[in-house]
Amino acid sequence: MDIVVHEATDDTAVLECSGRLNMVSAGAFRETVAKVVEGGRSRLVVELSGVEFMDSSGLGALVGCLKTARQAGGDLRLAAPSEQVQMVLKLSNIDKILRTYPDGDAAVTNWA
Amino acid sequence: MTVATGEHVLDLACPPDDVTAVHTFLSSVWAHEPELSLEDRMALELALVELASNVIEHGAGGRPVSCSLRMDVGPDEVTVSLSDDGVPVLVDPSAAHLPDALAEGGRGLALVQMVVDDLRYERVDDRNRWVVRRGRR
Repeated sequence: MDIVVHEATDDTAVLECSGRLNMVSAGAFRETVAKVVEGGRSRLVVELSGVEFMDSSGLGALVGCLKTARQAGGDLRLAAPSEQVQMVLKLSNIDKILRTYPDGDAAVTNWA
Repeated sequence: MTVATGEHVLDLACPPDDVTAVHTFLSSVWAHEPELSLEDRMALELALVELASNVIEHGAGGRPVSCSLRMDVGPDEVTVSLSDDGVPVLVDPSAAHLPDALAEGGRGLALVQMVVDDLRYERVDDRNRWVVRRGRR
């Protein structure tokens, strides 16, 4: 899995992910998010259009990173999930706690 | 009449193998089974990667775990059996349920159950055996 971090504003970052978010990559994803939050950006948008596969390990990492972001006063949003990722989000009911936006631009504003 | 059935087999030794080998295996299965719908492929890939992840995570008590996956793609349904020499699994797959929304683990088997028509587990001799079946859609 590849993660490209875009520093959108002083407190907001977009993490553009591609590949698979599974048992193999979940640890590296958590570490990347932890570094971004430590660096002062706790409003996170995880852009998922390039993620072809996500499983329960990936879901666990997203939930963990949501907590990390909230503990730092921010939040975590998802953007542009692929069809497979949408299936997993829906099956797991996780869409109740992780807000999903159609694209990164829509997700990056109006944090209130 | 002979019904064409595709049988596909993958043997894993973990480590060094991980679930990447399952994804690679499934890519080649899909190439051989072009009639399998996207919905079926997404469901089966999720189910098999979840089961293989469990095998690798729970392992064999500190020694490497070997795991054999056999997939039969029939005209009406797909059956997959996964056999490993890991420690016994103390779980009732039929009782798997989603944990609290903010839990960071424990969703794997519940997700598997949602995307297959049948999920069974048994301990046979010194091996764990998982069998999943999904009717083709």
